[in-house]
Amino acid sequence: MQLETALLIGVLFGCATWLVLQSSFVKILFGFILLSNAANLFLLSMSGPPDGRQAPIASAEAGLLVDPLPQALILTAIVIGFGVSAYLVTLLYRLFLDQKTTNAAELFADQDTTERT
Amino acid sequence: MNLVILPLLLPLVTAVTLLFWGRPSPGRRVLAGASAAGQLAVAGLLLWRVEAGGPLVLPVGNWSAAFGIVLVADLLAAVMVGLSSFTALAAVLYGFAEYRPVVEHPLRLMLIQFLVAGINLAFLTGDLFNLFVAFEVMLIASYALLTLEADDWDVKQAFPYLAVNLVGSTLFLCATGFAYRLFGTLNFAELAVRAAALGDDPRVTALALWLLGVFGLKAGLFPLYWWLPNSYPILPAPLAALFAGMLTKVGVYMLLRMFGTVLPHHLSGLHMLVAWLAGATMIFGVLGALSRNFIRGILSYHILSQIGFMVLAIGLFTELAFAACIFYIIHHIIVKASLFLVGGTAALLNRTDNLDRMGNLWRHAPGLGVLFLLQALSLAGLPPLSGFWGKYLILTEGLRLGEYVLVGLALVASLLTLVSMLKIWNAAFWSGAEDREVCLWDWRWVRMNRVSAGMVLVSLAIGLGAEGVFRVARQAAVQVRDQASYQRAVQAVVTKDQARRP
Repeated sequence: MQLETALLIGVLFGCATWLVLQSSFVKILFGFILLSNAANLFLLSMSGPPDGRQAPIASAEAGLLVDPLPQALILTAIVIGFGVSAYLVTLLYRLFLDQKTTNAAELFADQDTTERT
Repeated sequence: MNLVILPLLLPLVTAVTLLFWGRPSPGRRVLAGASAAGQLAVAGLLLWRVEAGGPLVLPVGNWSAAFGIVLVADLLAAVMVGLSSFTALAAVLYGFAEYRPVVEHPLRLMLIQFLVAGINLAFLTGDLFNLFVAFEVMLIASYALLTLEADDWDVKQAFPYLAVNLVGSTLFLCATGFAYRLFGTLNFAELAVRAAALGDDPRVTALALWLLGVFGLKAGLFPLYWWLPNSYPILPAPLAALFAGMLTKVGVYMLLRMFGTVLPHHLSGLHMLVAWLAGATMIFGVLGALSRNFIRGILSYHILSQIGFMVLAIGLFTELAFAACIFYIIHHIIVKASLFLVGGTAALLNRTDNLDRMGNLWRHAPGLGVLFLLQALSLAGLPPLSGFWGKYLILTEGLRLGEYVLVGLALVASLLTLVSMLKIWNAAFWSGAEDREVCLWDWRWVRMNRVSAGMVLVSLAIGLGAEGVFRVARQAAVQVRDQASYQRAVQAVVTKDQARRP
């Protein structure tokens, strides 16, 4: 299980990094969503190998349980990631309405940052 | 003990009340102003209690320290909370002076309160994951403030800020998971105990590097600083002052906390890396400042250059250097915030802050000129202003340790700081072309000037009473580096149930 999870996290991080480095803001947005999922999965895998352990639910026959803390952390991280993604989508829409493009290369093409009007 | 949670609770309650109050009105402003003043009073009380009686620890939700979240207010945290409350109060008052209630954006005051709550939580928390939550609260409020009053041109500058900070947050989350896997806990005190037990394990170094990357990004350390100088200038003056004063300093505070309190002290290679990154930050920041031609842009680049000084002190890693760093933080937050306020007033009078079209300010508003000069010279480090003492301490410590190259870089950076401040001075205040109009009839500048004058007075007091401030900084530095007593203070916390049991 650990090896498969590690590979999946690696692939997710790789794809996310590639997307974040694109010049289109929409691709950056998708990159961020992938990135936060990769981070959540990474956090989940930190509870150790799940082989032979039960889900962390208080039950009558208590055996070996999976460490519940990373799962609690992920819940918080998912909520935060969701809120931030929602904000990012809204901002992107605003950008598109203003500039009629979401491509960084076009947005910043004729910009001189040393001065402001 | 419950005093520790008040710096969080007050801004949160105020923010929610403001949210439901609806339209901006004088009454709403009174509430926001009174709350900001109350927060400053609470921070003062906290500082006084901690200074007299040692760190205060509060187990939130009555869980014992090993399982639950603890809030820890040691002297450094209390000082930082005091500074954030003071800067927020100044920003709120300046905002009142700038716009009448009808023109004010209805969400601005509320978001400022959320931002302050996040900042204060970051200072007070004693738990790595709770720190992540604090960063997110702070960052989401800052995203919203950044784009709240932005026009077309501004909004596209906000996107890189967002993208960089989002990636930074994700990396922070991964670092938290890594730390949990490595140590089985996220509590700072427990982390320190278990990290020390691991000794020379390379995984501890890896975690330290990871955290350096995350907090270096937040602090604006070379090479991860380019998100800052284009995004800060799009903020309105009072918000820019709050951002410039507090946000990057949260990153510096976390570096102090991590390297001083949590991570073992023998990672000297890493400390050297920190010091050199700081040297590069100083030079690149100040060169960037020279390249800009508008006040907010110049000041934004100076934040980076000053971050370099503070982080250099962390990299030198002696007790005196830590004290110098804390002194420098205290000096810098007040000076930087007040410079942004002064710049805002100057931009109001000239109707622009583009240096090519400014001028005549010294002739018509000498009071503003004096305020600017005091703060600019303090930033450059002229005695007896507060910046001199911070730089003096850092440089003497650097010389004592034989880091001549780094000291040389710092001196060059100081000199160039003075040059770029003179650039503002010559263009905006000294130049006297006839066509540069000064809108003195705009009465708002008088009240705005009073707020910045208040900050300048505090800054002067820091410079003239440097010995007293330094004594506090020294005490805070000793506490930050004393891992054993930090652990004792946290582990000694008893929850109410335990106390009741015989």
